[in-house]
Formats: sequence, structure tokens, C-alpha cells
Amino acid sequence: MTNPLTLMMPVKPDTKLLSIIEVLAENQAPIDAALSSIGTVHFARFLLLDSSVANLQPDLKDINATSDTLIIGVVTDYDGNFDAYISDFVAQLGDVFNALLAFVVGGDSVTPVQDNLAAFQAFITTNDASQHKPNDTLYAAYPQTVQQIKAAFP
Amino acid sequence: MNAPSIDFDDVQGTILRGYRVDYARHFVLSIDNVPAMSSLLSSLVSGTNGLPKITTALRLESKPESFLNLSFTNTGLSKMGLSDEQLQTFDSSFQLGATNPSVANNIGDVGDSAPSNWIDGLNDGGQVHLLISLWARDSKEVLESISATLASAFSGVATIILQHDANALPDNKIHFGYRDSIAQPTVKGAPPAKYEPDDQPEVATGEFLLGYKNEIGGTYTVSPTELSLNSSYAAFRILEQDVAGFNAILDSFAQTTGMETEMVAAKVCGRWRNGNPLTLSPDQQEPVFPTEQLNNFTYVKPEAVNDDTLGLTCPVGSHIRRNNPRNAGVVGTDSTHHRITRRAMPYGKVYNPQNPDDGNRGLIGYFINASITNQFEFLTGQWDQTSTFVKSAEAPGGSPAGNAVFNISGEDVFLGVNDPSNSSFTFPKDGVNGSNNVNVTGFGRTIITRGSVYCFFPSITGLRYLANLAASQG
Repeated sequence: MTNPLTLMMPVKPDTKLLSIIEVLAENQAPIDAALSSIGTVHFARFLLLDSSVANLQPDLKDINATSDTLIIGVVTDYDGNFDAYISDFVAQLGDVFNALLAFVVGGDSVTPVQDNLAAFQAFITTNDASQHKPNDTLYAAYPQTVQQIKAAFP
Repeated sequence: MNAPSIDFDDVQGTILRGYRVDYARHFVLSIDNVPAMSSLLSSLVSGTNGLPKITTALRLESKPESFLNLSFTNTGLSKMGLSDEQLQTFDSSFQLGATNPSVANNIGDVGDSAPSNWIDGLNDGGQVHLLISLWARDSKEVLESISATLASAFSGVATIILQHDANALPDNKIHFGYRDSIAQPTVKGAPPAKYEPDDQPEVATGEFLLGYKNEIGGTYTVSPTELSLNSSYAAFRILEQDVAGFNAILDSFAQTTGMETEMVAAKVCGRWRNGNPLTLSPDQQEPVFPTEQLNNFTYVKPEAVNDDTLGLTCPVGSHIRRNNPRNAGVVGTDSTHHRITRRAMPYGKVYNPQNPDDGNRGLIGYFINASITNQFEFLTGQWDQTSTFVKSAEAPGGSPAGNAVFNISGEDVFLGVNDPSNSSFTFPKDGVNGSNNVNVTGFGRTIITRGSVYCFFPSITGLRYLANLAASQG
């Protein structure tokens, strides 16, 4: 049974858009490799949003501009029990989380995540919109897990 | 990672050393008088005032007659004087305690195994403060004599909620007839065992001791720092075994599959009764291998001839493969991130089919780890109770032969909840998408939890710290 993650993390004031874009870009390959190895994530997207824009899309015209209103979003659909697997996720993605959390309000108190698993887990729970009403629903077209799909379609 | 240097004399022995003993007695206690507990604790740490000395991981020249170790629950640490802020730095499941409904539910302590059915007041988590365990090498007299000393010392200090013995069976066997305690993790920096280490990967020290790097590169710590080095956690479990029920399950599986009963017993476990792993003895038990070979195997091999990715030899859902997948692919990470050290012994008389109601029997002891949530609870809640953790994997030879994902169902035969309405065990056979697998269903639970305590083993430094702290409590 697939579960949703909609993690929305407010970014510290006075952060350069380019800094976040660069960190996301340079971590794309390691993130993909880690997600493949973890094997429970169907789909994942990393988003850079701006809460001062009506449709939340950041203005990239001046890439070096700083902003006080950015949000980093992580949206995934994953199998299984999130809490039970927090350590395994950190094992594979801990350094990526640390890099992103450096930009995030409250991120300093949960990094390095490898040493702050409980606090990191609590941070995610707070900021995962999917764990709170009214945003706790998910439509799934199929009940199979990532591994069942891969096994059935080699 | 280089092996760290550990001060063995500061670590409680049972965390890093297996005691080879015939007898054990476990005391579960409620602290009544905290300052008096302080004195008792000091005496136990130094072995003074006629009391036995708490055993450390430092191996002595002579073979000790007895061993002693001591641990606290969350409420016990609070009683000794730790603040709420400090306790909030401890393992989150340890804080909740074994009787907490969401904890119990997560690891399958439900139904007959639920805390409300536990023996002797273990369900009242608030009263369970302290565990003291005594192991005696080979003398019942030594066990009784030291017990008497302890019982006398407890008077006016702590109430014994439960006193429960264990006694070894011949050949390291347990009540279901298997040889136990074969595979223990090799912990980096631990005292070398008496025999050659097996060929399995070493595990980071921090998986078993606080204050050292663990497998994810972090360090488990607590506040105060005096409790944050050389300490560990454990799940203390009393597991009642229904031997008749288990034998009936083996017979029924044998009927359904046409296999010999002993082969069925090997398939649900992953080892034959004498301990030989199926992976090394696929067709028949064979005489027991030398100790140092019993654990030298893994499941996934590059050549088809000795590969067992699909579990055709050792089923993917067998007990030892579920609890230690070795190099078989699992989601998340791998088995080195979720090992436990098992220090459990049988209790009760050997089952006699001629006299089937002669008493209870089972297994009692500690499952030790630096993270209850990521190790003990991960095994019991995830790998023992689900079947979706297996990664898609084909044998050398490709897809027509099958996929590991399809070759497991239900829960662990030994540790799963196994409601007969949905229990299932898969005997994998060659075939596309597991089409030739034999699935046996409708069986019940044969190991019932009769008690459980989540406990914290302080270091020797930590015990002295707690003794000082408690001395000043009103």
C-alpha cells in the first residue's frame, strides 16, 4: 500500500535561489542511486517554491537574487512504514538531507541527521502535509509495491 | 572503519560476551527505597558487602562460576533521579516501554501475547524498574547461594515482581528441538570470541554500544554523558513455546508438501535441528559441522550452481533468512544495519508427549542492541511480520526461473502473529512468478509473549553515576 510524503520546508530568509538549485542539481545522481537502492519509493520530486508568488513558482529571471519566501518541497509516493525505515533512509540519503536542511528553518537543530534521528523524524512529521488533515489522502492506481512491479515487469 | 578501542572493564559483560552457562535466574524488580538502592547498586558494582560483582566485558584468566548484570527501565531511571528532559534523549521505544499499546502492536505483542496477558505484573510498566540477571556456569548450588544473597539484599530496597529461571538443554538446544545461538554478530572492537569469527561482515561498534559510530555513521548518545558511552539497550523477553502446537504445524506442512517432517523443520527455520544451515546442507541434515563453519554461508552467489537468490534451498521466508538476509537484497539497506545480539536460554522441562501438560516452557533472555527501534523492533515489526521487504531479484539464469519477491508470504513461522485466517508460509519452487510455489496456510502462533521489558544497560561508570544520583534522592 503506497503512502504519500508531502514535505514542505520553509527556507531561511536571505537565501539565494541559485544556491538551492545548485545543491539539488549536484545531488540528483546520488539521490536517484539512493532511491533505487532503497527500493520503496515509487516516485519522487524535489521542488523549489516561493510562497510570495500566487502560483508558488519562483521567478528565475534573476537567479542570483535572494529571497525570504522560498520553500523546499519533497513529494514522494512510497511503500511501507516510514518511521521504521527512517534510519535506512538516512543511511542512504543522510548527506543529501544535511545539505538541504542547511537552507531550512529549524534545519540546524536536526543536523547532522545521522546523529539526530528522532529529531529529524519529528521534523518530517511536523512538515509532512500528508500526515495532517486536510491533506492526508492519496489516490493510488494499484496496490503493488515498487519491488512487486519490478519483479512483474523485468 | 578501524576498530575502536573499548575499555572492556567499563562495559557490562553480557553486551559483548556470551556466557556459556547451564543456569540463569532473572529478577524483575520495583524500587521501593531509592537511597537504599543507591547503596545496593554501589555494592554490586564493586562486589563489596558480601554481594556479587557486576560482570564486565573484560575476560578474566579463570573461568567464573557466575555472572551478573543489571539494567533499568525508563521508569527505573526516572526513579533513580534522571529528569524528564534527560529521559527524552533516550531511544523512543525505550521511553514508551514494552507495555505501551503502540509499541506492543508494532512488534506483534497482540492477542494472547498482549501485555494484558503477561505474567506476574509485567503488564504494569510503571512498577517495573530494574532487572538483575544472574547466570551460573554449571552449579545449581552457586545459583541458589548467590540468589539468596541477592534476595536478602533486596529486602527493604526493592520488591521482586518476578523471579524466573532458565536452564540449558543438552547440545544448546531449545524446546522446538533446534540448536540455538549459532549466529551472533561480530562487533568491531569487541573481545575476540573463543572460536574463529565467521566470514560474515563485521558490524559497527555503535550498533551495540552507545558512544561509538554506528552503521549509518552517526552515534547514539543520551543525556547525561555519564550514561552515553559503553551502554546499551535490550528487549528482555519471556517467550512461551507450544511444542505440541509446533509439532502439529510441522506434521501438517509435511502432509501438504509431501516433504519429510525434518526437512519441513529445516525449511521453516533455515537450519536443520542440529544447526547445519540448509544452504550448506540442502538435501539432508548431515553430521553437525564444526562451530566455525556453521555460519560461513550466504544466499546470493554469482554462479547458478550454488546461488539461492530464489530461496529454493533456504526459503526466503525462513526464520534465519528473515532475521538476517545476509547478502540477499532487501529494501532500505541491508542486514548489517539491523543486527541484534541474542542472549536467551530455555526455561521449563523438556516436552514429553506422554505427559503434555506438565508445565510451561519457552525461551527467556535479552535481545541486545544500541537502538531498540532500528534493530529489535525493526526485525520483529518489519522482517518478521511482512513479506514486502524482499527486493526484486532473479537467479543467474534470468526471469523464467522466478523472482525472490514472489517466493515469500505471510509472517515468520516462529515470531509472526500468524492469525490462522491469514497466516502463510511459502516453499519456493522453480517457476515464473512463483507459479509452482507451495504455500501452506491456516496455521497459528506457537510462541506467545508472556512478558517483555525494554531496558537500558549502563556502563560501569554509568552505574556509579546512578548510584551517586540516587543517593541524593528523597
